[in-house]
Amino acid sequence: MEQVERLLKRTLPFQVVSPETLDGIAEISRHEVFKAGEVIYGAGQPAEEVYVLVSGRVAHRIDPDIKARVHEKELQVGDVFGWAAILEGEKVRLADVACIEAAEVLKIDGARLLELLRKDVNFGEAALKSFSQLISQQYYLPPSVSERVPTTLSKVGDTRTPASNEAEPQTASAWTLTMYRAGEWLRSPDPYLMMVGFALMLGFWYLTVEVLKLPRFEDLPGLTTVVKEWFAEDPVYGMSIYTAEYYQHIWVSIRRVAIAFLLATALGVPLGLFLGWSRSFREYVFPVFELLRPIPILAWVPLAIIMFSGSETPVIFLTFLASFFATALNTMLGVESIDESYTRAACCLGANRWQVFKEVIVPGSMPYVFTGLQISVGVAWFSLVAGEMVSGQYGLGYVINTSYTMVRYPTIIIGMVTLGIVGYTTSAMVRVAGNYMMQWRLREMALGGR
Amino acid sequence: MASAQHGAMAPITSKIAISAGEMIVSNVCKSYGTGLFEKKVVKDCSFNVERGKLTVMIGPSGCGKSTLIKLLAGFEKPTTGNILLNGKPVTGPGRDRLVVFQESALFPWMTSYDNIMYGPIARGEDDKKARDLAEFLLDKVGLRDFRSKYPMQLSGGMQRRAELARAMINNPEVMILDEPFRGLDAMSKELMWEYYSALYEESRRTTFFVTTDIDEALFLADRLIIMSNIPTRVRATIEVDIPRPRKLADFFLGDRANEVKMTALSLLHEEAMRSFAGGSKAAADFVESYARRSQRA
Repeated sequence: MEQVERLLKRTLPFQVVSPETLDGIAEISRHEVFKAGEVIYGAGQPAEEVYVLVSGRVAHRIDPDIKARVHEKELQVGDVFGWAAILEGEKVRLADVACIEAAEVLKIDGARLLELLRKDVNFGEAALKSFSQLISQQYYLPPSVSERVPTTLSKVGDTRTPASNEAEPQTASAWTLTMYRAGEWLRSPDPYLMMVGFALMLGFWYLTVEVLKLPRFEDLPGLTTVVKEWFAEDPVYGMSIYTAEYYQHIWVSIRRVAIAFLLATALGVPLGLFLGWSRSFREYVFPVFELLRPIPILAWVPLAIIMFSGSETPVIFLTFLASFFATALNTMLGVESIDESYTRAACCLGANRWQVFKEVIVPGSMPYVFTGLQISVGVAWFSLVAGEMVSGQYGLGYVINTSYTMVRYPTIIIGMVTLGIVGYTTSAMVRVAGNYMMQWRLREMALGGR
Repeated sequence: MASAQHGAMAPITSKIAISAGEMIVSNVCKSYGTGLFEKKVVKDCSFNVERGKLTVMIGPSGCGKSTLIKLLAGFEKPTTGNILLNGKPVTGPGRDRLVVFQESALFPWMTSYDNIMYGPIARGEDDKKARDLAEFLLDKVGLRDFRSKYPMQLSGGMQRRAELARAMINNPEVMILDEPFRGLDAMSKELMWEYYSALYEESRRTTFFVTTDIDEALFLADRLIIMSNIPTRVRATIEVDIPRPRKLADFFLGDRANEVKMTALSLLHEEAMRSFAGGSKAAADFVESYARRSQRA
């Protein structure tokens, strides 16, 4: 008996069940020996028992009418066969099974097995699930067969269940995938390497400026000075995390970037889509676009000040400009990257030109669009600071510039680090939004290209 | 036996009334460029795609078959000659002739189900009948469990089956398949042959199938058209009068199959040698594989 249980424990479907169930299965299984060349069962016969191979060599040949990916195989010791006995619907053998050499098998009555599994509240369903896995993976049979393994135990006993296909296979939601990836990341060495990287940079700063006081470095604000200033309730130079001023600068900068970025996206994406889609539109617009694009943002400063009144609009305009070019160009490349076979297929299937645009061009270019938006957010911060240094009041660029003229050196560093953090956060937000909107691609990447 | 299996599943004809069309290609020439730069890709090509038959076209790779397919599909127009579908000239792409191209063209941003439903939705026929048919076809191609997966999550064979379903739902009069099983591994390929052949036997839809694989061609064909190298023209037509349903397991044991295969191979060999003299890499490969095959035969 113990021996039987040990063997059962080794099989795929029964390794999960509870000890009591295993006892029960061992009790109802009968030992039988077949001679070489003897047929254990043939396709088309009624199926009542499930078998487990104990020793010997057995050939398994699935009826060619059934679309199995592999029809013939030799069974291994511990393999479970004859599972047709627990399928829903007509219980008939789907294969011919014969001994190549003398073989010992365990014979388990199918109906009683199902009853036992039903009693096993915790693991019965898991055992059934591994049966259906076994059928599709070890016997290479299509889902139409593996689906006939009863899925929920309440249905055990019903020989015919109406199409029980409502339960669609679950596709992981973006959230679980994100959590999964976060968990993986924490388990990998990456976060610790990252910390080492930061430690090295801060250490270098601290050593060169405050400990070694190297020439040229000693005039810089040191690590401890900056940290003290940043977290001081009563900052020496007037700005720390306790002053309202600090948040006002951050808020003003974020607002400018947000307005410019949204504007650039709202105008740049459609422009890029049309540039990529319509050849004639492109002939008109693209040369102008390409001529304006390489002009550095700083060169636009005088024009921006002349064109726009006040201090706010010129800065937003400059920020917008850089984002706009990045977004439009990447979107256009995205449209060009779409394989012609997709548009051809859509045409073939009866889509008109507008539908091709809406259903093929737009989703197809999304990966590039979001790459473009990430670049766009980066250059937005870049040109924002340029703009704020030249004109405008408030904003992190303005802080950095005025702190220099007013010799508040630690505040410069606070402004810079804050820019880094805020800039990184915004571009991470764009990435998350992109992943959320392109779940088809997220999965593709999460599954390592599968 | 096999009560709930594919074999016993309701045949496709129970859901769709197949209307098989017929295509006639007469004296078609296609050249690119003009004057000095003119390159004739297809030259004086004539053949019929007969109603209700599976016509397979085979030729050395790079012989301009894909150009011919673009002409049949209506993506390009022949320089001279004409192509008729049921007596009417082909003027552009249309749902009466659906093409399954060699590279998978399933939309990666849509699930299997949405891909299959694309045709009906695009034409505004997203009704109960179409959705029923989509369910039926999902079963038919064994993708019911994968209906909400994206193409990237499917294996190569599943992608091809999804693509077949996406074409079949539109009930085209002629199906045009351009090396649909290229790039699949040997095992999936043979399974797809059997699968596809059974599917065809159910519907007997007029089909034009292009391939470079002689075994694939023989196993599937009612009629085999052998093409010559560029410029593409018809070299020979062989009726493959081997009864259906065919089973891969014993197909190549039959004398008739091998006889046809040898005839076809020797014709193809001649073609390949001719272009080999012209220094074509594709042809050189072909000669090599021919040598291997005839050794085995």
